[in-house]
Amino acid sequence: MSELDFVSPVASGALSASGGGIALEDLSDRSKVLVRAGRSTAAGTHLKVTYGHSRRRRDGTLICGSRPDEWTLIADPGQGAELLASLPDEGFVSVVDITHGRAMFRLSGPDSVDALAKVCNIDLADDMTPDGAVFSASVAKVTCDLVRSDVADRRTYLISCERSFGRFLFAAIADACAEFGIDVPEDISMH
Amino acid sequence: MIVVPCPNCGPRNSSDLRNAGELVSRPDPDTASLTEWRSYLYLRENPAGWVTETWYCRTGCRRYFTIERNTATNEIRDSENS
Repeated sequence: MSELDFVSPVASGALSASGGGIALEDLSDRSKVLVRAGRSTAAGTHLKVTYGHSRRRRDGTLICGSRPDEWTLIADPGQGAELLASLPDEGFVSVVDITHGRAMFRLSGPDSVDALAKVCNIDLADDMTPDGAVFSASVAKVTCDLVRSDVADRRTYLISCERSFGRFLFAAIADACAEFGIDVPEDISMH
Repeated sequence: MIVVPCPNCGPRNSSDLRNAGELVSRPDPDTASLTEWRSYLYLRENPAGWVTETWYCRTGCRRYFTIERNTATNEIRDSENS
């Protein structure tokens, strides 16, 4: 299967504070595959992650237990076909490439938790959502899947939502980040 | 604010969930009378006190579960997957 050219719902580039306290990037082009399968199926056994947790496969793919009996796989752009082929499909299993249907952003930096707490009602403390935690929640009133995926001890959240909400959600998160030093471009400003 | 314990996601604000109403048992479609069907579809006890009800975890695990809730105090006793 050939990969379609990806067109992001967000027109803005990466935004970051000058002091490095927070950064917001559009990662919508990352390959995303949704797997629905019973835990006893070959796919469920292969993925090995329970709801609420994530792990990184040797090839760099992030496997997220996004719901009971449901996983989301996230990999570099253009890897959708490889991800689909890498999963055993025996039994009652559904595997769908959702790359083009979901927007995804990376919010990182020590101030990211305070910015996210402004628009998300989940307890973001380390003991409730440690590195590797996967959870779904309302972010700026948009239902989102979130993954805490720290990079070299830098607090990092991957936030994904339906593509049609992507532009609004990016603008809403950027707006929440403004008080931490991010200059929000005028074309996505909510004011 | 009511904090509702989802068996999969843990305590959640009720705004993250949807109350699907009192738990009522479905009558047998082969033997139920029209009166029983109407009662099943439309009639609820609605007590001021303990009631077993179904909730849907809208923004979390997207599963239905049942809890026992006191409608007068919003005290909640336990929860389990439906």
